Amino acid sequence: MSLDPSLMHIAVFFIVGIALPVVALGIGRLLRPHQPSADKSVTYESGVDPTGDSWVQFNVRYYLFALLFVIFDVETVFLYPWAVVYDSLRKEMGLFVLAEMLVFLLFLVIGLIYAWKKKVLEWK
Amino acid sequence: MEQYLLDFDLKVMAPELVIVSAAALLSVMDLFLKETASRKVIAVLSLAAVLAAGVFAVMGFGHPPYQILGDTYRIDSFSLTFKVIILAGTALVLLLSLHLNKEEIETREGEYYYLLLTAVLGGMVMVSSADLITLFVGLELLSLSSYVLVGIRRKDLKSNEAAWKYVVLGGVSSAFILYGMSFVYGLTGSTNLFVIRDRLMQALYSGYDLFVYLALFLMVVGFGFKIATAPFQMWTPDVYQGAMTPVTAFLAVVSKTAAFALVMRIMLIAFLPVFSPQISVGVEKLLMILAALSMIAGNAVALKQTNAKRLMAYSSIAQAGYILVPLSTLGFVLFPSLAYYLLAYLFMTLGAFAVLDVVTREGKNEELHVFAGLHQRSPWLAFAMSVFLISLAGLPVTAGFFGKFYLIINAIGREQHWLAGVMILTTVVSYYYYFGIIRQMYFRSPASLRPIPVPWTAGLVIVVGVIGTIGLGLLPDTVLQSLGKIDWGSGFDLAKNAVRQ
Repeated sequence: MSLDPSLMHIAVFFIVGIALPVVALGIGRLLRPHQPSADKSVTYESGVDPTGDSWVQFNVRYYLFALLFVIFDVETVFLYPWAVVYDSLRKEMGLFVLAEMLVFLLFLVIGLIYAWKKKVLEWK
Repeated sequence: MEQYLLDFDLKVMAPELVIVSAAALLSVMDLFLKETASRKVIAVLSLAAVLAAGVFAVMGFGHPPYQILGDTYRIDSFSLTFKVIILAGTALVLLLSLHLNKEEIETREGEYYYLLLTAVLGGMVMVSSADLITLFVGLELLSLSSYVLVGIRRKDLKSNEAAWKYVVLGGVSSAFILYGMSFVYGLTGSTNLFVIRDRLMQALYSGYDLFVYLALFLMVVGFGFKIATAPFQMWTPDVYQGAMTPVTAFLAVVSKTAAFALVMRIMLIAFLPVFSPQISVGVEKLLMILAALSMIAGNAVALKQTNAKRLMAYSSIAQAGYILVPLSTLGFVLFPSLAYYLLAYLFMTLGAFAVLDVVTREGKNEELHVFAGLHQRSPWLAFAMSVFLISLAGLPVTAGFFGKFYLIINAIGREQHWLAGVMILTTVVSYYYYFGIIRQMYFRSPASLRPIPVPWTAGLVIVVGVIGTIGLGLLPDTVLQSLGKIDWGSGFDLAKNAVRQ
């Protein structure tokens, strides 16, 4: 048993991923002149003067849409690789490969029907 | 070409397929029924689905172990026995739920029933898996459904608190399990339990033993939460108290049984090399300490409880400790005695919860004094409750006595006398609180003499519980022998049709 060399690659990614922002921001801090003024320390809002508080309340109903979005996200994640290898699977397993995906879609559709009937799609 | 559709695979999965299609159909049906319409039809159909799945599971016996879905899922005597136990438990819980009225579930009746179905589906996946991924998916399906079931009374503060605690601690325990599993995968490069068994041996011998123990330790912590053993038991009393009584019964019986099956699978397949005496005795010690701690903590804290459901929660922690005894000692009659005890546990616990349900519902109170004078009000109810309590305490002519007796034999057979000693001593301690309820029923005067109304469904559960508890107690040898005839070993051998050999 020895560690897979691919784990080394993952470790390198980790280290580079952490080092990059630390080094970049660190060097920037050392090099840049530090002359703050009232105008400079204003929050950047695309050139417009910022108004109000940044603590805006988001409507909690957004989370339902996010959840619904996940249904279709998951659908795509599984459908895409399935579609790519469909032809070769079809040769090997026959229509079963289609039936399996239809079963999967059926369950997602039930989820959608559930959301629909529970009036998640209506904005009140 | 279409041979795959008609393959044997679908037939061996019949119990699961029945449950999953019932859950899907009933959830759609619930959506299209009128708001005001009664959901009793959903309840009855769920019960029918559970019974049908049970029949299919019983019909599956007698075949050699069979692995499907790329060796991730296996059907063998071990999984079928556990499926029958958890389906029987669910059927009784469903019966017990039938008299719940709309107000209690806050018009969420339909959801309640199909969530029970998905929960039991998760349990069935857990007991039938031979792969870490499917095991985990089953575990999460059971857990997520249980979280919602615990919190199904949305306007009840206790129920909210219980659900919240259960979600957070359940999530933490899942994280522990996953972290442990990730180490196992890192060491062996596989999620298949049988492959893990072979490669774990190599890992042990080539200097990675610390990682093997770390993985085992993390997983034991996670499983400790799921089966509610001390010191990971703190969620149990709050959750048991906050949930509706049928849900509590489900958690105490079905969830626990499924989680035990899962622990046995992982320990006895994947981690078997770690158990072998040449390598280590530490693992067995770890489980024994968990068992002893649960017995001591559960029984000691139960002494001070005044709430009936909290008392049952601590009692179930103690019971988890008892059940861990044969597993931690790897006793030579491990499986028959464990199956016997789980059956006894099913009958006595569900029976006790059924009585508790009707009594607390009538008294609108869950304190122990609702049982006061039950003997004068409903003598038969008091008699049934006494049978269950005597069995839970482990006194003769009940299932609980012989169950505990067989468990102790496992410990003594392996010369773990201290563990047997702890079990006997804590059992004696438990007499105090179990007999506290009996004292209430027979020697305290009741608040009113009105007999307690018992819905026939709850009555049926109580009758089944009494028959089971006394029947197992009268014919212990017959039951144990027939349980011994089940080919338990097959649950831990690679099936002949396995893809990977």
